[in-house]
Amino acid sequence: MWSLIISTLLGLWLMFAPGLLGLSSTAADNDHIVGPVIVTFSVIAFWECTQVMRKYNIPLGVWLLLAPWILGYEETVAIVNDMSTGFFVILLSLIKMKVEKHYGGGWSSLIQS
Amino acid sequence: MKEQEIPPGWDYNPAAWSQRIPIVILATIGFFIAAYLSLYQLDILSNVWEPFFGDGSITIFNSKISHVLPIPDAALGAFGYLLDAVTGVIGNTKRWRTMPWIVIVFGLAVGPLGFVSVMLVVFQPVLFDSWCTLCLASAVISIVMIGPAMDEFLASLQYMKRAKDANVSVWRAFWGMKDVREKLT
Repeated sequence: MWSLIISTLLGLWLMFAPGLLGLSSTAADNDHIVGPVIVTFSVIAFWECTQVMRKYNIPLGVWLLLAPWILGYEETVAIVNDMSTGFFVILLSLIKMKVEKHYGGGWSSLIQS
Repeated sequence: MKEQEIPPGWDYNPAAWSQRIPIVILATIGFFIAAYLSLYQLDILSNVWEPFFGDGSITIFNSKISHVLPIPDAALGAFGYLLDAVTGVIGNTKRWRTMPWIVIVFGLAVGPLGFVSVMLVVFQPVLFDSWCTLCLASAVISIVMIGPAMDEFLASLQYMKRAKDANVSVWRAFWGMKDVREKLT
C-alpha cells in the first residue's frame, strides 16, 4: 500500500515539477504526460482485484530513464529529475503486495483453457 | 438449483450494493461537475468556478479542440458519467450472471472509457499550458472509480468463460438467458 502511495505522489510530482523547477517545454511536456499516467495506474492498483496495474508503471519508469537522452534534454535538473523519478517508480512497482481475498482465479483465469 | 450470489472462487459478491453504491455516487458527482462545465461551454453560464488557476479554465473551455465536436466536450463527459451511474445501478445483486451485458457495458464505460477521458483532461497543460480545477476534480473521480468497478466486470467475464468452457452459448450467457444460467455455476 505504501509503495502505491509513494508512486502516486511521484506521478503528482511530475505534474507539478515543470512549473516549480521552470523546465523547458520538451521536459515539461514529457512530465505532464507521464505523470498523470503514473498516478492513474498507481491509484487503480490500490484495489486488490486490479493490483496488477502497478506493473504497467515499469515501462513508464524505463521511459523516464531513457527520455532525457532520446528527447535531448539540455537542463541537468530535468535529466536528474526524470531519471531519479523513473528509478524509484520502477523500484516501487516491483514491490509485491499482499492479496487477501480470492477472485475466482483472477484475470489470468480468462485466458487459461 | 438455487443461484448463489457469490461467484465461484470468490470471497464476496462484487455485485453487492455496498460495492456498487459508492461508484454510483462518484459517477453522479462527476455528472454534475461535467454538466456544470457544459453549461459554461454552451454559453448558458457566463463564468466558471476557478479558485486556483486564474484564466486556466476559460482558456481550456474556449480552445479550438474543445469545440471540434458538434457538442461541447464537457457534455460528452456528462454523458459518460451518466452511463456509468445508470449501468451501475441497474440490476440486482446477481447481475454478474443475470445481466452480464450490463456489467460489461458498465466495466467498459468506467474502465477504458474513463481512462481515455482522464487522459484527455490531464493533457490540457501540454496543449494549452493551463490547468482547470474542476477538470482535475472530475479526473480524480474517474480514476478512483476504475479499481472498484473492475471486480464485477471480472466476475461477469469469468461467467462467460465458464459458458465457453462448458460449450454453452456465450452469446446467451452474455444476455443472461435462464437456460444457460441453469447449466452454469
